[in-house]
Amino acid sequence: MKKIITAFIVCLSCSGLFAQTGTSIPAIDKSPMDMSYYPVNYPVLKIQDKVTESLAARVVYSRPQKAGRVIFGGLVKYGDVWRLGANEATEIEFFKHVKIGGKKISKGRYTLYAIVNENTWTIIVNKETDTWGSFKYDAKKDIVRVEVPVKNTGVPVESFSMFFEKKTAGINLIIAWEMVQVTLPITY
Amino acid sequence: MGNGTGDFTHYVLNKFMMITVVKRSYLLFLFFSLLACGNKEEKPAGQTTVSKKDSAAFVKTESSVNPYASVDVSPMDMSYYPADYPKLKMARTVTTPPLARIVYSRPHLGGRNLFHEILKYGEPWRLGANEATELQLYRDATIDGKKIKAGRYILYCIPQADSWAIIFNSNIDSWGLHPDATKDVMRFVAPAKQTDQRLEYFTIIFQKIDTGAELVMAWDNVEARLSINF
Repeated sequence: MKKIITAFIVCLSCSGLFAQTGTSIPAIDKSPMDMSYYPVNYPVLKIQDKVTESLAARVVYSRPQKAGRVIFGGLVKYGDVWRLGANEATEIEFFKHVKIGGKKISKGRYTLYAIVNENTWTIIVNKETDTWGSFKYDAKKDIVRVEVPVKNTGVPVESFSMFFEKKTAGINLIIAWEMVQVTLPITY
Repeated sequence: MGNGTGDFTHYVLNKFMMITVVKRSYLLFLFFSLLACGNKEEKPAGQTTVSKKDSAAFVKTESSVNPYASVDVSPMDMSYYPADYPKLKMARTVTTPPLARIVYSRPHLGGRNLFHEILKYGEPWRLGANEATELQLYRDATIDGKKIKAGRYILYCIPQADSWAIIFNSNIDSWGLHPDATKDVMRFVAPAKQTDQRLEYFTIIFQKIDTGAELVMAWDNVEARLSINF
């Protein structure tokens, strides 16, 4: 952490080297956006003609950093609805009909939220898309809520991470940050 | 900021501070500039579950501690039209759906000049990095008198000094390299000009005009604008 702080101080002292951009031009965000597909790396496989499974899902999310903070139980309070990322609400898109927690979900775009607790998280699939964070979260628009157990990652995860992995009857969405990992099973 | 618990003012303040910090941390990125992206990408290998981006260089401190997916040197970003639609929605000032959204990755100059150290006139460019730049139209639109259907497209361009050809292509969910011209849907001309600012990071936004929006594509001291009528 000390190193990070020192790096930032050094950076701050390099001020004024670059012109400020116009007010309407968005600067690079501290929590950069990212995208994960299933099949993993689908866009690359597609241009290489190596696709063997049809497109199933994609998540678009922003990646806050731990930056020395206590995340779960600190920054993200236990029991509150959390946006599972930063900035624009985290979006999951299904390219085929899927099942989560026994509930049928039509293909399309959805927003993901989580209620984080020490031993379990509740993952929420909600149909209100194109929104910001969880500030306008409306439980009436929930499609399904699934409780999943928390697992220790064994290694610290600095940037909030989401990605898919293959399972026999579908896929898992893995969500990891700090020392915590949860798995959301998705079947189809 | 990463939490959904702070109030909005707090968020804006933090975001502002962080933007400043990020801008000033430019020098750190210079060290990675040789590896930085542009259109000289390496083929990402089809490795494990970890998703590697072809902008090649990752934030060093991160890659050593994130066993899942490293943060990319060309971060992804999203722009809506109306601008900041998700925030407007959160503030309950809009009730209609958005009109358009672009999802793209943002390579940076890293000490290079855009022309001709990164791009060359007449050579196709992916308008971003990594995953192909994606435009979602939420309703039918008209560009240059031609109707274009609501839906999802990927975009690439062929830049020239005074205009960029902007190509809408149907090969969605693909990687930005080697666009498949057989899947081109429409091609438009966006006037380009020099500006008096230098943008370190490639930027795409929508700006409102009387007839709809302009898709503004800006990097270094160059910007191209494509009018979209809704």
